[in-house]
Amino acid sequence: MPSASAQDLQSWLLGAVRADEVTEKDPKASGIVLEALVGRERIREVASRFLAEGYYLESLTAADFTECFELVYHFNRWGKAGARSCVRVLAPKGPDETASGVSIRSVYPSAVWYEREVHEMFGVTFEGHDNPKRLLLPESSAIFPLRKSFKGEPKGSDVTQSLKLIEEDREGFDVAFPKTLVQRNKDYYLNMGPQHPSTHGVLRVLLHLDGERVLDAEPIIGYSHRHHEKMMEVQNYLACWPNFGRLDYVGAMSYNFGYAVLIERAMGIQPPPRVEHIRVLVTELNRIASHLLWMGTFLLDLGGFTPFFYCFDDREKILDILEMATGERLTYDYFRFGGLDRDIPAEMVPAIRAFLPEFKKHLRDYRTLVTNNVIFERRTRGVGVMTRDTALRYGVTGPILRSLGVPFDLRRDEPYSIYPSLDFEVPTATEGDVYSRYLVRTREMEESVKIVQQVIERLPAGETTLGKLPKNVPKGEYYSAVESARGLFGIYLISDGSLNPYRIKLRTPSFSNLNALVDVLPGCLVSDVVAVLGSIDIVLPEIDR
Amino acid sequence: MTAIPFLPAGILGEALKIVLWGTFVVLFISVNTLFLVWMERKVSARIQLRRGPLHVGPAGLLQTLADAIKLLSKELVSPRRADPFLYALAPALVFAPVIAAFLVVPLGPGGLSIRDLNVGFLFVFSLTNIAFIGIFIAGWSSNNKYALLGSMRAVAQNISYEIPLLLSTMGVVMMAGTLRMQGIVEAQDKLWFVWTQPLAFLLFLVAALAEANRAPFDIPEAESELVAGFHTEYSGIRFALFFLGEYTAIFVSSAIAASLFLGGWQGPFLPGPFWLLLKTYAIVFVVMWVRWTFPRLRSDQLMAFAWKVLIPFAMLNVFATALFLQLHALFAGRSA
Repeated sequence: MPSASAQDLQSWLLGAVRADEVTEKDPKASGIVLEALVGRERIREVASRFLAEGYYLESLTAADFTECFELVYHFNRWGKAGARSCVRVLAPKGPDETASGVSIRSVYPSAVWYEREVHEMFGVTFEGHDNPKRLLLPESSAIFPLRKSFKGEPKGSDVTQSLKLIEEDREGFDVAFPKTLVQRNKDYYLNMGPQHPSTHGVLRVLLHLDGERVLDAEPIIGYSHRHHEKMMEVQNYLACWPNFGRLDYVGAMSYNFGYAVLIERAMGIQPPPRVEHIRVLVTELNRIASHLLWMGTFLLDLGGFTPFFYCFDDREKILDILEMATGERLTYDYFRFGGLDRDIPAEMVPAIRAFLPEFKKHLRDYRTLVTNNVIFERRTRGVGVMTRDTALRYGVTGPILRSLGVPFDLRRDEPYSIYPSLDFEVPTATEGDVYSRYLVRTREMEESVKIVQQVIERLPAGETTLGKLPKNVPKGEYYSAVESARGLFGIYLISDGSLNPYRIKLRTPSFSNLNALVDVLPGCLVSDVVAVLGSIDIVLPEIDR
Repeated sequence: MTAIPFLPAGILGEALKIVLWGTFVVLFISVNTLFLVWMERKVSARIQLRRGPLHVGPAGLLQTLADAIKLLSKELVSPRRADPFLYALAPALVFAPVIAAFLVVPLGPGGLSIRDLNVGFLFVFSLTNIAFIGIFIAGWSSNNKYALLGSMRAVAQNISYEIPLLLSTMGVVMMAGTLRMQGIVEAQDKLWFVWTQPLAFLLFLVAALAEANRAPFDIPEAESELVAGFHTEYSGIRFALFFLGEYTAIFVSSAIAASLFLGGWQGPFLPGPFWLLLKTYAIVFVVMWVRWTFPRLRSDQLMAFAWKVLIPFAMLNVFATALFLQLHALFAGRSA
């Protein structure tokens, strides 16, 4: 059922915006409540209205159709399910496949990155966007890979061209420090990354410093871009599974889960109960492993070496357990449509039973070693405070949002699988600083332990596969969202009924969470930059896709 | 000054003595650093559920030697835009003063030390300060932003921590009534100063940790923020010199702490140098333990800690000691 405000929006869209088309959709089948097609010029007005209603911009993407590009905006709201709305804008193709839309960056600053991505992938320009630089692709690249007319270069055909591009990019790297921007002599620019011990992968943060104080920060991403979305367009649905294990290699199970939910929703199938239980079991174990890795590296960033080894010790044990089921330790590729790759072995449940009490004891150790440490508190309390407004405008989700006191967790608010029948809490904190993000994540580990315990107590016997399924997905548009260790992971699929996806958009949580850094970092010291960056818990391959 | 009996007197003897002691100190410091690095790795491994070096030599003792040889055989790389003279000078400037400070540490009874200067105490603290000029030069001449930030932090930190470091030792000097290191140790034959000056001992340890750029005060080389801080650009033997300087500084600081507060070479049965080494290594162990337990402070918090906590307490300690000594003298005078 659409909520009251969704109905308001619907009538407003019809009346004031004169939307061409407003349809209610069945969220069970498509993941979306409301869909509207609005005129190109009205999108800024529509976005403002959505913001006023408390919606955040969940994703912004485009799809290439024969006559036009379709710009697709997804808006969602913190709270119970039944709010995700999809707004479409048609951008007709001009000569040479050019098209343009209207930027909504003045309403949602997170649109800056999304629009840059759409621009570089489709060649769609946005009016009112003053920074149309490349986001994920090399700065000098002149291709638009997600256009259907793009066929790709034959392999190895153009090495000299690639070398030239690399050379040009290096020049672009130097140009990134415009001399005119240095207003005073003591200002200077520091490139933190792409090779730096604390950027957790290849992230570059361009810091504008006054002494050690940050005046401005710009995260620069794209160093591990592999173009999963394009890859999936040329593969069949089954061949897409490994891609989902390689988005967020730290918490890959949630990403498997997202794809499974999406395709099962699209096909209208229901996996057997044993499958659902095992999925939740491995996902929650993986969530604990992900949070442990975060905790270790975060404390390493703060200069505490030892917790890193403690956390990794526990994480290794979880990886051993997951290896029993999947045969893999990192890039899991375990879920299948309506089932699993294989059943879990008999020794796995006893191994979990042995691990849990030990881990609970370790969690207490972490609390005495870290949580109450004076230096740790001083380094994290009141540092990198994010406001609710920032979180809303940037579409921040996951533990960072919950550390602001917003109990938004898709496992409870937009339930999928067997989560509604499980007893667990959604931990929140109130301060929104680095310390509260730490608290939320440590308490989430405890909640995940609770879930794992409940699942192994009532793990039903039965099949772990549905048998033979059709190879294609019915024509239509589908959206699924799951709660990964980092936040809301959404997949938007346009299917034309053929054997491979027509367009898949991956809405990854760290992308939005990292984007919000632009608002949080100014005023911090260089030491805080590391603490804040660590507390965001980014995984670069998931941002760069 | 200790006379060595088999040496001829006069200038020739003096010169020979300088050479002999010099060789001894340099050898001792090198071997000692190798041992300290091994110890650090073992201690950290035990704290972190690991086993540390195992395979090279007995219990991995020769691992650090192998690492040292590797460092010595490396090419010296210097950045294109560095200042070549200063860049080469800095490691020596960091290393040399620390060795020199070693000269006045009292090693045993009967005035056994390399040179027992009558202002030995001041000599030590003035020498350790020169090292920071070296660190600043290293950061500046590397022409690297991280190195510059690191050396900036180092200078700020060391100027701030020099004050509580010296103030905390004032109480000891007042009680011993001398600036001669041997004299200070001899004054502890009945009671170690750690019992009469416990606050000063704590303050000294904290300030010495900060002076030696050790965790949780290792912000000039905070590897998660500044890559490697002031020595980001250094490699090979030059890097080894920084390393040697750092570990020797810890050792010398610990030896001085042992001399000032733990009775130096004093102890039953065993010879003096042995007791000194034992106490020094005990303090070094505590320093390592702290490093592998705590996260790092932020530079502004570090400053605030020095100026708002350490210095007032050190002042208080000086006043309390002075008051106590005056009252003591008054009563002792009256009873006499």
